[in-house]
Formats: sequence, C-alpha cells, structure tokens
Amino acid sequence: MIEGALPGAEVEVLDEGGGDHLRAIVTAPQFEGISRIDQHRLVKAAVRPRFDDGTIHALSLNTSAPG
Amino acid sequence: MAANPELRAQVEQAIEQNPVLLFMKGTPEAPRCGFSMRTVGVLEQVGVEYGAIDVLPILQPLREVTSELSDWETFPQLYVNGELLGGCDIVEEMFESGELAEALGVEQPASTEAAAAQPAPASDEPYQSPPMQIETN
Repeated sequence: MIEGALPGAEVEVLDEGGGDHLRAIVTAPQFEGISRIDQHRLVKAAVRPRFDDGTIHALSLNTSAPG
Repeated sequence: MAANPELRAQVEQAIEQNPVLLFMKGTPEAPRCGFSMRTVGVLEQVGVEYGAIDVLPILQPLREVTSELSDWETFPQLYVNGELLGGCDIVEEMFESGELAEALGVEQPASTEAAAAQPAPASDEPYQSPPMQIETN
C-alpha cells in the first residue's frame, strides 16, 4: 500500500507483535527535504484504511530519503 | 465530528505555555504504553523540563483536536515551542542524531549508553607535588 502511494519507495515491514503491531522502514525519494513528521504523515495516509478497519493497531515508522 | 472547541482551546493554550509538552498515555511516573514510556525515557536522558498530559481520560475527543491541529491522532506526541515534533519513533531518532538536544536548546548527553562508560574529564586541579621524600644516607 505504501509503495502504491509512494512510487519508487523501498519498504520493509516487520511484525513486532501479534500481527497488528508493525514496523515499517521506508526510504522514498518523496521524503527528500521534508521533515520527519511530514514523512510519517505521508506513510500514515497511505495505510489509513488498515488503521480504520483495525488491521493495524500500532505502526512504528523509520523513514528516510535515499542517499 | 468536529473537535470540541473548548478542548481545542485548552490544548492550544497548553502547547503555547509549555516550551516542551508531551501528550502521553499515563504519566511520566507511570506510563501506560510502551511508546509513551520510551518517549519519557528519552526526555529524561536529555534532561530537559517538560509538561506532561495524560491523554487516556480524554482519548477520543483529544484525537479529534490533534487531528485538526496537527493532522496527527496517535500518542505520544511531543510538542516543542508550539510545534509537533512527532511521536516515539521520531523522538528516538532525533535523540540519537543529536537533533532533539538541538531542538530543545540543551547539550547532547555525552552518551546514549550508561554514563559510567564515559572516561573521566582531564583534571584541572592544581598540580600536587609528591610527598616529600627523605633520603637517608
């Protein structure tokens, strides 16, 4: 879902417990030059439906721009 | 549903009045979630004074307020000088990189590991000559 919203992103998703506590490590060119909180907002918007339907309970994020 | 305007006003005031403000689940003495606990831990390592608000009694209404205010609904949330810095992940990342200390206007702690590992600083005590030695011939 993240790759769909952020074409060119590299995404790694880890289960940190129970299937609904996830960690996503995202590197995306779209993150270049924007604050961490804005990077997180972009990822959050991409996975919004999974929060809304309860599939994801908690999502830890590590975001960075490539290079 | 629109956010409760009274609550929003209170939140805005709290953010304005506290240079460092943490919205968390539970209290710094008794955090009620792992992410909140970790954020408190970082603030304590940095050694800065901060205000803390327990969101649990007002969770849903508060989510609506912060959603309107900062486009962010999960907690913990750390506000520094009126701006949302982020949640636990961001606070931890910024702590490790030194950005958090900078944003807070404090010195980066010497090490994120136990301070005991730090070598002792060079002494600036006056040089003490060794005790007098008496030679016996």
